[in-house]
Amino acid sequence: MPEKEKHTLKPHHWVDRYGDYLFNFAIVRVNDANRAEDLVQETFLAGLKAKDNFQGKSSERTWLISILKRKIIDTYRKKYSSRESSMADYEQDISDGDFYRSEGPFKGHWLDGMGPHSKSFLPEGEIEQVELAAIIRQCIEYLPPNLASVFVMKMVDEAESDEICKELGITSSNLWVMLHRARLKMRKCLEVKWMN
Amino acid sequence: MKKSLGYKMMVFMSNRMMACDEASFLLSYRQDNRLGFKQWWQLKMHLLSCHLCRKYAIQIEELGDTMKEYRVVSHTESCAHHLSSEANNRIQHVVSKELNAK
Repeated sequence: MPEKEKHTLKPHHWVDRYGDYLFNFAIVRVNDANRAEDLVQETFLAGLKAKDNFQGKSSERTWLISILKRKIIDTYRKKYSSRESSMADYEQDISDGDFYRSEGPFKGHWLDGMGPHSKSFLPEGEIEQVELAAIIRQCIEYLPPNLASVFVMKMVDEAESDEICKELGITSSNLWVMLHRARLKMRKCLEVKWMN
Repeated sequence: MKKSLGYKMMVFMSNRMMACDEASFLLSYRQDNRLGFKQWWQLKMHLLSCHLCRKYAIQIEELGDTMKEYRVVSHTESCAHHLSSEANNRIQHVVSKELNAK
């Protein structure tokens, strides 16, 4: 006698039921519509291959998302291996010539206009959540891909630092510097977006 | 050109203090890590004298809160993006083909 209803897979309905959901999940994390579409397709195909392993403990959707997550991390990793190996050394350096003075007596101080203008980068009053989400998405899009991967894994997916380092094959000092750089750029971007 | 005494003093001080690049790095770093005493003290001293980094400290927190809100919004289904009908059909086709092949 079945005591608890088990989840079952209905692959015929996958595209209709979860296509948009998976697409949204992917596009927030890879910022490229074509790539996100490919990821959705790959997820469904991988799901079909692995469907005998589905134990019915989680819902169909949760199960598909877990497959998609793996696929997204694989794309991050590919982005990494295609870069020069000097990337890691460069990321050790916290000074960023776009933000701080790189020479002169005040070396390391904020460049004019690159530091914060006020205590808040948000406008006064109520903000529509949808509007805020759209602006954040745009700013993530402007990040260089390696910083975007790290920032999204940490701040959107709330992955553990150890896990991010392991998945991307970087050291923890790389991670902290990259997060710092991503935050510098995100803060600046959000401030500029709201001022206009 | 002769520099004023005030300018010389500022240069003297800034050579001895933590600069904004390091201070802003530590403000980010401490979101996830504990600072050592020396780092903590130098950061505190820097913040006393630097109004930009004081604002940065507040904004870093704000960024964290904003991303928290974003997480909630981006996890709901009512998001801005939809598969184009073309992509939807293509994926549907590929999946059906794979299903029928079995």
